Amino acid sequence: MDILACPICKHHPLDLQVIRESDEINEGVLICKNCNRWYPIIDDIPHMLPDDMRNPEEDLEFLERWKEKIPAEIAERGKPFNLASKK
Amino acid sequence: MRRDVKHLVKKRYAKIAASGGSCCPSCGCGGGNTSVHIGGYSEGDLAKAPPESRMGLGCGNPVSYADIKPGEAVLDLGSGGGMDVFLAAQKAGPDGRVIGIDMTDEMLDRARGAAVRHGFNNVEFRKGEIEVVPLEDSSVDVVISNCVINLSTDKARVFREIKRILKPGGRMVVSDVVTNGGLPEHVKSNPEAWAACVAGALDKDEYLRLINESGLECARILAESGYSEGLPEEIAGKLSSITVYAEKPRA
Repeated sequence: MDILACPICKHHPLDLQVIRESDEINEGVLICKNCNRWYPIIDDIPHMLPDDMRNPEEDLEFLERWKEKIPAEIAERGKPFNLASKK
Repeated sequence: MRRDVKHLVKKRYAKIAASGGSCCPSCGCGGGNTSVHIGGYSEGDLAKAPPESRMGLGCGNPVSYADIKPGEAVLDLGSGGGMDVFLAAQKAGPDGRVIGIDMTDEMLDRARGAAVRHGFNNVEFRKGEIEVVPLEDSSVDVVISNCVINLSTDKARVFREIKRILKPGGRMVVSDVVTNGGLPEHVKSNPEAWAACVAGALDKDEYLRLINESGLECARILAESGYSEGLPEEIAGKLSSITVYAEKPRA
């Protein structure tokens, strides 16, 4: 986790918001403070894809499901998809 | 065709992951499970990796040439079922770490499952693309990859990323399919042939040129073997697998 960087702007380190964890982080969000992109951690695996390879439906569903646990600046204004853009 | 190719590659490897693997006969990326060596692995190597991680999709054995030492950080680009990650993890030991990057959920699930079942604590898997690697600059000692870079539609960018993430003095050892002399145009433009590790293969000289242009140094071929068995006549003899070494300058 410590050497993960934003695939787009290469900013490092990324902020981590843990949503659910056991001995590993099962669900969470990695946040790039530099470009305001967010990357979900799903089933223990960080998804670090460039914008054009992401799935907007899946991303929005993730944000919707965990919006209580995700910082508002990401849920509402994060890139490349956020709940405000959905409305 | 770039995006089409990417999706086709993803779809193809998702299907292979779900089916339990073994290589496409048309691709020349290794053999079936009955052969003594799968793409350059000894029986000893095969025995060390979790069985479910062996997909037979490689075309070499980069770990055997990478001289991975205890404590080193290793990145596998296009880690698939995770076989090379697990072999590297045994060399890197408890103080080392091995990170596998793949863009296919099915492959990642398979590799992650194998890691948990077999108690590999020094491996990590990330969903990502090899053209935009989600690691910081100068962060790993070794980059390996096995029969994956040929699938990329922007290989120059892949090599630039490898140079970026390697520590100064770090090394790359990758196995891949290359051509010796051009392939017929209708083969090169066929997305299916791209996903099968054929159409995306660069000519060997071009492959080495891109490595040199990326800023990596001392590029050399460590191993090479030709393919012809089971391939159509028009491409038989024109494909070979190479294992290439290069390093990032120290300063």
